[in-house]
Amino acid sequence: MGGFIDLYTEADTFLHRMDPRVKIVSVLMLSLLAFVLTNLNLLLLLLAFIFLLLLLARATMSRTLFALKFVFRFMVLIVILWPIFDPSGSPVLASLGPIKITEPAIWRGVTSAVRVGCLATVWYILMFTTSQRDLVRALVKLGVRFDFGLTLAISLRFLPTFGALIDSIKDAQRARGLELSKGGLLKRSRNYVAVLVPTIVSALRTADTLSLALQSRAYGARADRTYLRDLTMRPSDYVALTVLVLLLVLPTFAKFVMQIDI
Amino acid sequence: MIPSANTIPQEEKIISTRNLKFTYEGGVQALHGLNLDIRYGDYLAIVGGNGSGKTTLAKTLNGLLRPTSGTVFVKGRSASEQKVAELAKIVGYAFQNPDHQLFCSSVEDEVRFGPENLGYSDSEVREKVERAIEAMRLGDVRKLPPLSLRLGQRRRVSIASIIAMDPQVLILDEPTTGLDAGESQDLLDRLKVLNAEGKTIILITHDMRVVAENARRVIVMSNGRMILDSDCRGVFSDLAILGESSLEPPPVSKLAHRLAKYGIPQDVVSAEELVFQLMRSGGGG
Repeated sequence: MGGFIDLYTEADTFLHRMDPRVKIVSVLMLSLLAFVLTNLNLLLLLLAFIFLLLLLARATMSRTLFALKFVFRFMVLIVILWPIFDPSGSPVLASLGPIKITEPAIWRGVTSAVRVGCLATVWYILMFTTSQRDLVRALVKLGVRFDFGLTLAISLRFLPTFGALIDSIKDAQRARGLELSKGGLLKRSRNYVAVLVPTIVSALRTADTLSLALQSRAYGARADRTYLRDLTMRPSDYVALTVLVLLLVLPTFAKFVMQIDI
Repeated sequence: MIPSANTIPQEEKIISTRNLKFTYEGGVQALHGLNLDIRYGDYLAIVGGNGSGKTTLAKTLNGLLRPTSGTVFVKGRSASEQKVAELAKIVGYAFQNPDHQLFCSSVEDEVRFGPENLGYSDSEVREKVERAIEAMRLGDVRKLPPLSLRLGQRRRVSIASIIAMDPQVLILDEPTTGLDAGESQDLLDRLKVLNAEGKTIILITHDMRVVAENARRVIVMSNGRMILDSDCRGVFSDLAILGESSLEPPPVSKLAHRLAKYGIPQDVVSAEELVFQLMRSGGGG
């Protein structure tokens, strides 16, 4: 559970060292680029570039496969469903009643699937090269209010804790003879009351304690708080930012100003 | 060679483990081949430092965790062949944090939940609930919402909700944590009564005083192994074993150790015994 929520993997690569603000902006730009590009070959090129980054960030194979497994299933689903719901174009390869499978629709499905693959992988890179602490600090630096940032940080921090809590509560109720997957839909949802109530009660108790702990550490005493560690842009960060801006701007310019079909 | 279900003699042992191993998903091996026999009516304490495998062992005994290899026999049948809900009839497990179990709007409903899940008839449920409420002395609060009670009472409710299923074995995970001395003693007294009535009690605890004054048999766990299986006297006179598993003997045993040169025996586990020994060595005065 913990591994699923916090994807961050400790390592010392240029992507891990990169200023988290640059990483957030870069990921946003690469995501936009995935929408600007409509040509399948160029999208595949972008996917290859993103996978290169994945390799350079020394992604562990097992964790990457685990994290992207769901995305891959989703991509397969897109390729299968797109032609069924998009009857436009020709030639028609097969038809069954109102359903027409056309060749361009299949390619559009593949293109969309590759686009989703690009988006998922690029965000995965951000999550596994950036610690949650850095992520929140970068968001605050980019103008997000500190209390929003703190809320996000606390939520992320407590997700695995609640995962473990729910597992423990399920075990506690199973020890009382509760069989969660027994009975019809109604009975099964009623079974979950025995898990849900203790979970909510424990969550509220935790929140209450946490707010007292924050206050006892002078949270909110001053509006203009200071930070022990500040983020500073290094020359390599500027280089990375420039490269990525060009990577987004050039194709966008080509597409919308020069009207080149890409 | 692991004996099969029918070669385990049934008459005395309610739980047996054979070469029991358990490895968590992340690859941490928590149990390294345990062989443990628990007799009917035992009062057993499982002690050991944090992460020594106490809770993991306990959870394999009622099927919440399935052994990675080896077998747990409950009443001679392999636990792996039975659902947790079936095992709950024989092996009750009260979790450390009562708030992980409580969800009903009255103590009575809370206690009913277990026996109802096990499919007992109305009259049986009523009888078992009454006995559990009586055993944990919850009569005064039976109509109150359990979450409004003090921790000591909440723990008694969670234990009552297990007792109501009438299991032969009662596993209690750190039942005295967070209770004051009075509440703690009260709970332990109730457990002694249950034990005297024939229930097998398995206590997981850090509190050596509780162990010394209650358990008849102690298992010391360290790094997923049973490093000692003995009565209290054996455990608390073995300082080396205790040190290895970051445990401290109860104050009375430590005092006896300090008084060794005055002829006080090393296996003293209660204040009464120490007084008796002191009187004897003091020349009968």
